[in-house]
Amino acid sequence: MILDLQRFQVQARPRWTQLETLLAALEGRPDRRLSPSEAEQLQELYAQTALDLNRVTHGALAHDLRQYLERLVARAYAELYYAPPTASEIWNPRRWLRIFTAFPEAFRRQSRYFALSMLITVLGCALGGLAVRYDPASVDVLLPANYLRNPGERVHEEEKGQSRHLPSVQNEAAFSAQLIRHNIEVALLAAALGVTFGIGTALLLFENGVLLGAVAVRYTQQGFGLFMTAWLLPHGVFEIPSILIAGQAGFYLARLLLRRSEDRNVRRSMREWLVLVSGLAMMLVWAGIMEAFFSQRHAPVLPYGFKVAVGAAELALLTIYLSLIGQRKTVAEAAAGVPSESK
Amino acid sequence: MTDSQPIRLPTTAELTVATPEGVLFRLPLAAPASRLYAMLFDTAIVLGAVNGVGLLVYGIFAKAPGFGFMVVTLAEFAIGFAYSALLEGFWNGQTIGKRLFHLRVIDQSGLPLRIDQAWVRNLMRVFDALPFAYLVGGTSVLSSRLMQRFGDRVAGTLVVRETPLAAPAEEPWSQQKYNSFMDYPAIAIRLRRAATPELASLIQDALRRRNELAPYARREIYRDVAAYLQNEIASFPDELVEMLSDEQYLMNASGVLFGTIAGRRGDRK
Repeated sequence: MILDLQRFQVQARPRWTQLETLLAALEGRPDRRLSPSEAEQLQELYAQTALDLNRVTHGALAHDLRQYLERLVARAYAELYYAPPTASEIWNPRRWLRIFTAFPEAFRRQSRYFALSMLITVLGCALGGLAVRYDPASVDVLLPANYLRNPGERVHEEEKGQSRHLPSVQNEAAFSAQLIRHNIEVALLAAALGVTFGIGTALLLFENGVLLGAVAVRYTQQGFGLFMTAWLLPHGVFEIPSILIAGQAGFYLARLLLRRSEDRNVRRSMREWLVLVSGLAMMLVWAGIMEAFFSQRHAPVLPYGFKVAVGAAELALLTIYLSLIGQRKTVAEAAAGVPSESK
Repeated sequence: MTDSQPIRLPTTAELTVATPEGVLFRLPLAAPASRLYAMLFDTAIVLGAVNGVGLLVYGIFAKAPGFGFMVVTLAEFAIGFAYSALLEGFWNGQTIGKRLFHLRVIDQSGLPLRIDQAWVRNLMRVFDALPFAYLVGGTSVLSSRLMQRFGDRVAGTLVVRETPLAAPAEEPWSQQKYNSFMDYPAIAIRLRRAATPELASLIQDALRRRNELAPYARREIYRDVAAYLQNEIASFPDELVEMLSDEQYLMNASGVLFGTIAGRRGDRK
């Protein structure tokens, strides 16, 4: 099949121009919707141009023309096979509120990865705690900051510093923003490190666990257990689970990448990751606010018992939210065991 | 259809898309350098926006700098992620920098990217930016066939180059009225049957680009092609060939391969 390029171009050029005009008109429209007659016209011009492209590809050495036709076919292909969400769909508030139910649903569907990240953190905690308990020399290595090594000083400072801290709600506001930002960054990193087949995620969780265990044992050893609980619990009950969920998202991502070839609906699976990350970001915003405005106030302004109670109440609410809100697993989903592939 | 296509290594990286109708088309991938420039440009815009917001907020919260700091810190953080994600999501895969450098993020299947893909690839920046200056992402781009950074791999997206292309101009060259090759229909038919599409296109291309070639190059190319046709494909009688310049030889051959006017003249004979 030898193609007479000149004659071919003269014959086909009108339909290419027509297709170009149609595409330009469609791409200019905000919702990119086609009327039935336009859809028909687009389909027909696309088919013809695709045929022209095939003829040029196989019948002639015409790089410029081939590139031009490829571009044209690609644009038409995108218009034909992609239905972008309309403006009303995007700005529908119910769509946005869906995240509040989608998050616990995704959390429950991927709960085994949550269990894995919990396990790794607990292992880290145990190691950190045991090291500090039985090998005092390890304190210097595990707890780099002075305030972590010497709780007495810190507690004294914190309790004495009440009057100094108190009027500056503004400082607390600034502090909360920094906390939120830093925590979200770390959590996001844990979730993204899933691409290292989860190794990075596991290391991050483990390190976090070691620090947590070491601090807890150090403060308890020196008799500041209640202070520490009251200090950490009000924000920790959101902060620690959100780091665990970040780990969950990371492991989920690792698993997803490892078995990408089997997964028939990668796009839906990616959305699951996104939902988990959005959910934990919301949790960290709350944790940041609590940490700055509530956790840093100590007895006698806020009794430790009260702070612990608030923390416990928060934990109960979070547990209820994550385990009960949204739809329950369907029977088919539970049986299939492959949630990412089911609707 | 694809089997008959000669294997030609792409000169630049490209994505080959096979549509459900069985049409193959290629999209050129963006070069790492242009992506870097686009990113630097976008970073400049984000910094500008963040500083603008900062000035405004500190102006409003002049009496409460702590709240101002809170708003700015969070705004900076949100803008950093949302700028690219929102623009790419709603603007069909382009940020301002990408538009300027003619780049576009698309789905691996050749279709436009979706809003959640835009978010995933931009949230994954925290990993791609490690340990500094996008070292991880850059290494990933250079080592990936589809030039994807990790965010692209996870989201199933890639960045294509989209230089505006106009249809190649028509450049008709005069079809000659009389073709002496048609006086030898048997040889002409042999030429027509033996020439591959590539060879035919080569002849057509060589003639079409007559004025682009330097005279000595043109002479040499025309001589080589004509000699190849004469010796390997179809030998016209020496007494005819001696009278023709190489260029005339190729014009005659092209007339045999493509022409109908000349063909009809031959038929009439």
